Amino acid sequence: MSVGPAHTVNQGIFEGYEIGGFYDEMFSSPGHPRPPYAKVFQKLLSMAPAHFETRRRLADISFLIQGITFTVYSDGRGTERLFPFDLIPRILAHSEWERINRGLSQRVIALNHFLQDIYGEQSILQEGRIPRSLVYSCPHFRREVIGVNVPHGIHTHICGIDLVRDSKTGEFCVLEDNVRTPSGVSYVLENRMVMKRTFPDAFQAAEVLPVNHYPSELSRILRSLSPRGGTDPQIVLLTPGIFNSAYFEHSFLAQQMGIELVEGRDLIVDGGTVFMKTIRGLKRVDVIYRRVDDDFLDPLTFRADSMLGVPGLMGAYRAGNVALANAVGNGVADDKAIYAYVPEFIRYYLGEEPVLRSVDTYICAKPSDLSYVLDHLPELVVKAVGESGGYGMLIGPSSDNAKIEKFREAIKANPRNYIAQPVVPLSRVPSYDANEGRVGGRHVDLRPYCLYDGKDVTIVPGGLTRVALQRGSLVVNSSQGGGSKDTWVLRGED
Amino acid sequence: MLSRIAESLFWLARYIERAEGTARILDVNYHMLLEESQSSYRLRWEPLIIMAGEEDRFRKLYTEVNAENVFEFLAFRDDNPSSIVQCISKARENARTIRDRISREMWEDINGFYHMATGFDAGEEIAAGPHRFCDRTKFGAQRFHGVTDTTLPHDEGWQFLRIGWALERAEMTARLVDVQYHNLLDEYNVAGAADNHQWMAVLRSVGAYEAYHRIYHPPIEPERVAEMLILNPQHPHSIRFNAAEVQAGLRAVSGISVGGYSNEAERLAGKVLDRLSYDRIGEIFAQGLHGYLNDLLGMCGAIGDDIARTYFYYAVVA
Repeated sequence: MSVGPAHTVNQGIFEGYEIGGFYDEMFSSPGHPRPPYAKVFQKLLSMAPAHFETRRRLADISFLIQGITFTVYSDGRGTERLFPFDLIPRILAHSEWERINRGLSQRVIALNHFLQDIYGEQSILQEGRIPRSLVYSCPHFRREVIGVNVPHGIHTHICGIDLVRDSKTGEFCVLEDNVRTPSGVSYVLENRMVMKRTFPDAFQAAEVLPVNHYPSELSRILRSLSPRGGTDPQIVLLTPGIFNSAYFEHSFLAQQMGIELVEGRDLIVDGGTVFMKTIRGLKRVDVIYRRVDDDFLDPLTFRADSMLGVPGLMGAYRAGNVALANAVGNGVADDKAIYAYVPEFIRYYLGEEPVLRSVDTYICAKPSDLSYVLDHLPELVVKAVGESGGYGMLIGPSSDNAKIEKFREAIKANPRNYIAQPVVPLSRVPSYDANEGRVGGRHVDLRPYCLYDGKDVTIVPGGLTRVALQRGSLVVNSSQGGGSKDTWVLRGED
Repeated sequence: MLSRIAESLFWLARYIERAEGTARILDVNYHMLLEESQSSYRLRWEPLIIMAGEEDRFRKLYTEVNAENVFEFLAFRDDNPSSIVQCISKARENARTIRDRISREMWEDINGFYHMATGFDAGEEIAAGPHRFCDRTKFGAQRFHGVTDTTLPHDEGWQFLRIGWALERAEMTARLVDVQYHNLLDEYNVAGAADNHQWMAVLRSVGAYEAYHRIYHPPIEPERVAEMLILNPQHPHSIRFNAAEVQAGLRAVSGISVGGYSNEAERLAGKVLDRLSYDRIGEIFAQGLHGYLNDLLGMCGAIGDDIARTYFYYAVVA
């Protein structure tokens, strides 16, 4: 992608800033901020670069002391790294957020309908609105839960839906759905807290909507799922344990909600009921917010070698003695090939047109799409359908021949496992580059977190903005050098 | 409370206490030796390794017992599971697995403590001597203790911390008295002169020097030092004080009334405390100090085992 003429902004940390050939979320033209950013831009502009650097260090220390780190095991010892945090906020106008909110709510409800249908009557298959073979060939489609009644018909209690702003249109579109065990919401809450500590003056200028009601909203939904009813259900968060990269988030959420954080070894199933081992003997568990993948939940039903799960858990689940959030089998809805049909779900289940556009998707399982993909690999992004975290991905324009050929062979060997999309030129937000000592435009995405209680979808304003901190990079995943930003939705009119 | 969490709290406290105890002993020993003859070096350093129960491991790693090697081994080595840095790392790992159950202040404090301890340059510290590192460790541990007491509800979880702290400290003091007495008394008999400095160091290493002088008159007598560290009911490092803490913690968890017991750990804690309350130091010496302390250590070990059997790993019939 070519970078446009050198439009530059000449002041403070923005010295030499280039807008480039992408949609710049802060500037409409050099030196002219878009309305939502106007006040923050003035603040940043008035700040000496050394002063900015001091605040940045303060923020880093704050994350380190709080232990908000992820562990990299490449050196055999386990090194803790900070998830890089960029001090310049990403700001969304209220009207723009309203539209995103509507689009996501619609999408979450449609995805839930699809799951309820696919593990129930399967009317969408009978009417031929999606190929049966595509559903049944999905590795995350779980025949084991067909016919299981989930409380209130909710499958997608918590969804993280990835949005990107397409530089060509300036419009947000959906890049992928995460309806299994999406992570990252703790960073939304911690980023905000650190931001308020290090940059209080910026908040005074802008009117920012709060985000900290997420844990209580999630807690409310989890409580409503208890099969025993009553006012004091026993709710636990099931974590794979301390070595999981999202462990910080698990303990953070458990603490915020005041629920027990458990590992598989803390639980036991007796007579179709789940118990936890306490110092006073066994105590019944009603609701499990599980952050363990389906495959590892129950060695008697899924992977027999799983040490993370609880033998017999699926039996208790089927018997309705324990509720799981999210439901088992959700992976069939966020499969990257099924993704192409979500607009169809919205039309079929809700009778509405999608508010948010999806990215054009070529499904390699379809012969016509396959031949197009194989002919255009250098221009496309190829993704393995069941992967996440930026793994199993080919970015055609920035890959060498060897990598492209490797993917060509892999796609030919197993077309069902791949989809392809055109490269979306992601929008950019000014971000501080510590190496260069100044601000540069960096590509971002946005993952809002949606909570569904069976009637309404609640989305805390904003979400996690991930930023590809390396100049020119389009990959925002933390495992690949990405960082994050505090995301602001402004109160009232823009 | 989950069994796993109670266990993590118990060990969190033990590791912190072990780190602090090791730092105290290292620091005091080192400073005492600055005014000593070269020939007595080996004699002074060896007990520290024995106290840590790591003789074999030390010999595999080093050929010579000297200040630098002992300091490195007890403070920094990753391959010594009892080194100060390892204890702090393990304490922090335990805290990390239960950070949703401890206070935010406790977590931030122990996490900062960990980054401080692992941030030291071992080579530089070994060259500079152990005081700075040991002092920071000691105060880091004490601060964590204080943060814990003032931010964590004193519920059953806090009782497991209390038991862990007291049990570890009782064992550390018992080992200190045992090893130093054996070592110093041998020398005493050979030299025929009371070595005041050594006994001062023993008292200082558990912060009991000033307290000793308020109770006893000079000169420092080995038997009185032992009495103070084993039987004193009020000094927070004496074995008796800590046995009482263990018993109080166990009772608070089970709710059993005074005079009874509901598990083996409680029975043994009561027995230990009874002996320490009614034995006289003369009787203890008459039957042999080493044997007496060994008995106590055995019972402390059995208390720990039974706490695990009763609360952490009880058999589940399902």
